[in-house]
Amino acid sequence: MDATRILEISDLWVSFPAYRSEPVRALKGVDLSIAPGEFIGLVGESGSGKTTLARAAMGLVPPPGVIERGSVLFDGRDLARLDDEARRSVLGRELAMVIANPRAELNPVLPVGRQISNVIYYHLGVRRAEADRRALDMLRAVRIPDAERRFGAFPHELSGGMAQRVVIAIALSCSPKLVISDDATSGLDVTVQTQVLDLLKRMVGENGASALFITRDIAITAHFCSRIAVLYSGEIVELAPTATFFERPAHPYSITLLAAFSHSAELRARWTRLPDAAADALPAGGCSFASRCVRRRERCLAEAPAPRPLAGGRFVRCHFPVDESVAAEGVT
Amino acid sequence: MSVGTHSGPAASGTRPTAGGDAPWRRRLRFFLAVLRARPSFALGYAIVVGVIVIAALAPWIVPFDPMTADPAVYLLPPGGRHLLGTDGAGMDIFSRVLYAPRVDLTIAVAGTLVSAVIGGAIGAVVGYYEGQRAWRRALSTFVMRSADVLQAFPVFVFAIALVAVFGQSVKSIVIAIAFVNVPIYLRLTRSQVLSIRQLRYVEAAYVAGASDLAILWRHVIPNAIAPLVAQLSINIGWSVLLTAGLSFVGAGVVAPTPEWGSMIAMGFQNIVTGQWWPSVFPGIALGLTVFGFALVGASIEVLADPARRRVLSGSLG
Amino acid sequence: MLLLRYIARRVVFVVPQLFGIVLVSFFLVKLIPGDPAVMMLGPTASAQSLAELRDRMGFTKPLLQQFTRYVTDVAHGDLGTSWQTTRPVTEDLFQRFPATLELITFGLLLAVAIGFPLGVAAARLKRGPVRKFADYYGLLAGAMPDFWLALVLIFIFYTVLGWIPAPLGRIDMAVLPPPTITGSLVIDSLIAGDWEALRSSLGHLALPVLTLGVINAGPILKMTQSMTERTLSSDFVRYAEMCGLPRRLVLRQAVRAALPSVVTIISVLYGFLIGGAVLVEMVFSWGGAGQYAVQGVLNADLNPVLGFVLFSAVLSLVIYLVVDLIYFALDPRLRS
Repeated sequence: MDATRILEISDLWVSFPAYRSEPVRALKGVDLSIAPGEFIGLVGESGSGKTTLARAAMGLVPPPGVIERGSVLFDGRDLARLDDEARRSVLGRELAMVIANPRAELNPVLPVGRQISNVIYYHLGVRRAEADRRALDMLRAVRIPDAERRFGAFPHELSGGMAQRVVIAIALSCSPKLVISDDATSGLDVTVQTQVLDLLKRMVGENGASALFITRDIAITAHFCSRIAVLYSGEIVELAPTATFFERPAHPYSITLLAAFSHSAELRARWTRLPDAAADALPAGGCSFASRCVRRRERCLAEAPAPRPLAGGRFVRCHFPVDESVAAEGVT
Repeated sequence: MSVGTHSGPAASGTRPTAGGDAPWRRRLRFFLAVLRARPSFALGYAIVVGVIVIAALAPWIVPFDPMTADPAVYLLPPGGRHLLGTDGAGMDIFSRVLYAPRVDLTIAVAGTLVSAVIGGAIGAVVGYYEGQRAWRRALSTFVMRSADVLQAFPVFVFAIALVAVFGQSVKSIVIAIAFVNVPIYLRLTRSQVLSIRQLRYVEAAYVAGASDLAILWRHVIPNAIAPLVAQLSINIGWSVLLTAGLSFVGAGVVAPTPEWGSMIAMGFQNIVTGQWWPSVFPGIALGLTVFGFALVGASIEVLADPARRRVLSGSLG
Repeated sequence: MLLLRYIARRVVFVVPQLFGIVLVSFFLVKLIPGDPAVMMLGPTASAQSLAELRDRMGFTKPLLQQFTRYVTDVAHGDLGTSWQTTRPVTEDLFQRFPATLELITFGLLLAVAIGFPLGVAAARLKRGPVRKFADYYGLLAGAMPDFWLALVLIFIFYTVLGWIPAPLGRIDMAVLPPPTITGSLVIDSLIAGDWEALRSSLGHLALPVLTLGVINAGPILKMTQSMTERTLSSDFVRYAEMCGLPRRLVLRQAVRAALPSVVTIISVLYGFLIGGAVLVEMVFSWGGAGQYAVQGVLNADLNPVLGFVLFSAVLSLVIYLVVDLIYFALDPRLRS
């Protein structure tokens, strides 16, 4: 275990209490660690727990959610246990988030330049004029055209792509050690998406920072992540280096995700199984993917799989991971 | 940290359905849990129920006849046979305070209901017709401008004028209250209808060819009802205040009918000379009643809004 | 300039509204039973003098004609005469409106001073005594009858404690009022440097302002609290927290986002109080405009009522215009 991991999530369980029934488990025993300078992609569908994981990484699990078990350490510190002020000095400075819906989350009554400058001003303790200057530099760095004029623009006056760049500027303004991008490019046009991704990759790399890149779209992780984690129903079901993942996916869900992009309808059909109408009748206690798995057997219903190491530096949560021979059947 | 009573780390988050529980029973239990968690709501319901019960049972529980004046015992301080004292004409204040809600509540409830029905109906139609073609849009614009004019009137002066026009009686006070409240319900229903209209399933029904009336009845109105009911409760409280105010200036209930506002007016001169009880007690009763209705209205607002209900249920555990 | 054009457009829309208001009030007051000629001359007047009076005042002409005459008079700035005060209504109103405005302005200022900080505090603190107090106060204050609270305050501070002068009017009868500049006794005394008048008028203002302030603080508190709670859980506040911005700054931003609603409710209260403060005015014999109008209604004196309604409608519309301008200043999204 490398002691200087930037982010260390160990056996994390997060649940949300519900009225008069079982609490909803958003995360069930998540293990993830990120080394300095490493880019990790986290892929999951809606409801898989991606955002909860992002929030937990920042120590900001929204109430009434609680961390039942496990820990999240950022640079060796547990952010959830810090007092409010101490945490505020870390967030935005050493650990920054690039959010998904910038125009909804930027302050509508403040000019965008001012919002970047605020973060610099309050975190780095420089004079206001200096903060403004650096904010302008950031605007230029994220390649916003006509940066001087745009400094005084309001969020609603910017396009989606430009607002996204502003949010990236805010995230990187204090040179953080870890950047978490939560679905940051969903909702953008495809061309804009590519530009934003390139920008993010370049700027994070330039700073020597790490990135946790959370997305629903598996295709974009191939771009620049060194490792890919697949999140399903609150569990990491597969964790593998990128190349290995795309060549030899091990978990049935990963294959389902990849098969969705295949041109072969037959292949897609083979790897997709709609949840049974009787899905709820499956006894609790088995693999959480069982209801949708095309490969499920008796054991899957009875016993939840624990993460197992496979060849090539992979971990997979499956009793019967897809082995090499099956994977070679044209899943590209 | 403990994992509780669950069978193991891999237990999924499926919720056990509440078996044979009737839906109304579940709702009742939820309602009671809310009351326990928010004592202020419970207080509001207690007050409202209490006032209604008192109003209903007044003729049987008052120690003295509320309208019999005994000049020999005028301006007795509270205590003894006269629990809250007597006023300047010798009438027992306690009995009159208990009797007053019969008038006040009747007027307030009647006036509010009338305005809610009329205003709600007009508002629903206006909201539905707004933005459509030709005469419908013209009609809704005209109605809205008229509502603006109506609302620009100073409320109190308007109410007094209406009472003056129709003659001083309970009926005219009800009409006055209904009139000044119609614009509120009109706007409320209109905005509810407008926002519901945008919802997809209403569009779907429209495209599927359902008639206007059917859409209004089956989709729009059930969703618009909840804020309306909350507003009703708050409005009833406010109408009681208005009735009391009208009676205070002499344009409301005719003396010696017991009514909180006119009782306060009768005690006006006394309070300056130091006899505070003829005015203070009716005012306390009045304020408490309005307070109770306001609390009930606030609780309905929370219960009717699914988002706030979720937040509330989260804090109940 | 864009602003002037916007204001001009609003003013243009105002005219038909004012017309509608005058129309409704005219016919409403005309509906009030009672023969105004009899009320003016008294029950012992001769039939002939009554007929003469009716003819002179135009009561015998058809209603529509009376109405058009009234409207043309108004267009020339003539609001008629009140037969109760025997003075032109315009004169009466110019004397009485400043009294009402002084009262409700100070009253609302106090209400904001009480309600706004309490509302913000209540939004911040989820639990604790402050929050409980604010929750109850918000509802209780709006439930109290204002005329009753006025009486209670008179009892406590005048009858029992003797701190406040007798609740009769705006200033001691023995004290000479300062020369009229703004119409507000307090401001005019300050301008004239007349300390005795200032003390007296402040003493007389204290209780009615306290009444209005305490009661109207309730709705202001509730609105501030609920809007600030809402903005504190809004997306951009969440994002600001994620950026690690200091708590004071985030709170300030949330409160600022809640301001438009608070401004709205203050303006609604202001418009309402122009006629709605009449009960307090009557308790304190304030000589305000609302009192004037109520006397008019109760005595079928048409002109004061119409004059008051017109004045207060114009005032309300001015208030709403000012409020819309404030919205523009607060929210840049509206400027496009």
